Amino acid sequence: MSVIIFLVLRLLPGNAITSALGVSAGLLNHAQIVALDHYYGIGEPLAQQYVSWLHAILTGNLGVSLSSRTSVASLVGSALPVTFELAIVAMLLGLLIGVLFGVFGALRPGRAIDVSGQGVSVIGLGVPSFIIGTGIVTLLAAVFQYFPSSEPFASLTSDPWLNFQQIIFPAFTLSLGIGAAIMRTARASVLEVTGQNYVRTARGKGLSRHSVTWKHIFLNAFIPVLTMSGIQLGYLLGGTVIVEQIFVLPGLGRLLVTSINGRDFPVVQSVTLIFATGFVVVNMLVDVLYAVIDPRIRSR
Amino acid sequence: MSMTGVGPAPTAPGDLDAGAPPAIRQGLMRALWRSRNGRVGLVLVVIVVAAAIAAAFGATPYNPQYQNPAALLGAPSWSHPFGTDQFGRDILSLVLDGIGVSLEIACLAVLIAGVIGTIAGVIAGFLGRWTSAVIMRVTDMLFAIPAILLALIVVAALGAGWLNSAIAIGVGYIPIFVRVVRGPVLTLRESGYVLAGRVLGFSRRRLLFRHILPNVAGILAVQVSLALAWSVLAEASLSFLGLGPPPPTASLGEMVSQSGSLAAIAWWTLAFPSVAIIVAVIGFNLLGDGLRDAIDPRTRKR
Repeated sequence: MSVIIFLVLRLLPGNAITSALGVSAGLLNHAQIVALDHYYGIGEPLAQQYVSWLHAILTGNLGVSLSSRTSVASLVGSALPVTFELAIVAMLLGLLIGVLFGVFGALRPGRAIDVSGQGVSVIGLGVPSFIIGTGIVTLLAAVFQYFPSSEPFASLTSDPWLNFQQIIFPAFTLSLGIGAAIMRTARASVLEVTGQNYVRTARGKGLSRHSVTWKHIFLNAFIPVLTMSGIQLGYLLGGTVIVEQIFVLPGLGRLLVTSINGRDFPVVQSVTLIFATGFVVVNMLVDVLYAVIDPRIRSR
Repeated sequence: MSMTGVGPAPTAPGDLDAGAPPAIRQGLMRALWRSRNGRVGLVLVVIVVAAAIAAAFGATPYNPQYQNPAALLGAPSWSHPFGTDQFGRDILSLVLDGIGVSLEIACLAVLIAGVIGTIAGVIAGFLGRWTSAVIMRVTDMLFAIPAILLALIVVAALGAGWLNSAIAIGVGYIPIFVRVVRGPVLTLRESGYVLAGRVLGFSRRRLLFRHILPNVAGILAVQVSLALAWSVLAEASLSFLGLGPPPPTASLGEMVSQSGSLAAIAWWTLAFPSVAIIVAVIGFNLLGDGLRDAIDPRTRKR
């Protein structure tokens, strides 16, 4: 029974994407009709265009870029790994910053690590990523005469060290915002769990501090952190658009901005679809992770 | 949001109309001032709004667009407190003007998102299951795309410009208003005084406008403040990407983007527009937090 409910609920977001692209496809196609009329002299009804576009997508054909005349699939194929890598490194860094400061700050409230954590969180939440990014680029260029992005982008396999240098700064820029939000959640959650009766009981029966902290507090406090990380992914995907622009990374975000400026709608549609799909898929993964972490969710 | 019964027992049917929540009756400002977040937020917002009003009345030290060839990239001085940019324009005047434009766009965006989102949220919460389902599914779809991406797509469809920025940013924020409003409306619908009003045969409109909306006003105020913070940020991000209002309009995001190549030799071109954005974003965020503390006593302890 639970399997069926699970499946139905999981299928809903899938519907949501296709329909969401119906909405944006409606918006885009209006301009696209003009473009199509201009290029080929055709003006199909919106619904028909949408259906055929959807059909093409499902069969793996993303269309042809209007500006570069190459297939959208190849453009996306080269950009996707860059954004994927950036997002993963940023998420890991964000989790590291957030969980580290959040958990240890909450375990020692008011001490140095807590206070510095709060400081990072104010910066992360209040300072937009494009200002942090511009600041970092300026600092690197002015103080260290160093700008790794001036060289063409190196993939992880071709030159790992240069790739690391090129990814780490944009990832750090993005991670501050995510880290700050995760930190706030983690701190509040750990503080709440620490006050629970079972933690007192665990301490009372003489369990080691290590065991109490990690088995009783940390695992129980982790669910809200996970939820927050899922929410932050939306911010992360939006953030890649801006950060890739600043650090000149040839990822999906940069592709999106370039194609918006060039009114290259097949590319805009496909990139948006990929972002939305990624967002939904990761949120589904987060739901699965709940069950991994919390046996109570599994048994239901 | 106060759902528990407050105030004296009603004496006449008219008194059944649930007024503003207690915090508002007691003086919202005092409650707001009591929380540290609210205090700091209020001060920052007043500064930002004052700057915007000054710019709107043309009370900037120089004409923001006046290019002084004798003062290219001048460091901050008495005549130009924030320095000058690469065209010799006064950065203080540009920043003031930019704040004005930014707030105008943000206010319009929040107005769009707030009005549409609130109406949709109230309808989804108050009316039948079918309407509710349709509205919530559309909201879910919009939620599947990160707000800033939604804004980018709308700009892509409509083209860059003052009004289009506001629409794009507003559309991105609609789903949040819908969700925030719908939740409390669902609980309010079943609350004692609304049921009582129903029994007394009050019209649907009277129930909505005099019983339900005033009680949502509090969270709505919080959300408006947070939405303003987000809108200022989104507007700056869009214009940073070159998708904001076209050049003659001053824009903080565009100033940050322009300063990228100059900041190494002229830090003030980056610092002052950045500070303006940060002050506005933090100000509205803190004001929102403060309002929430003032309206909902349960969160005040934190």
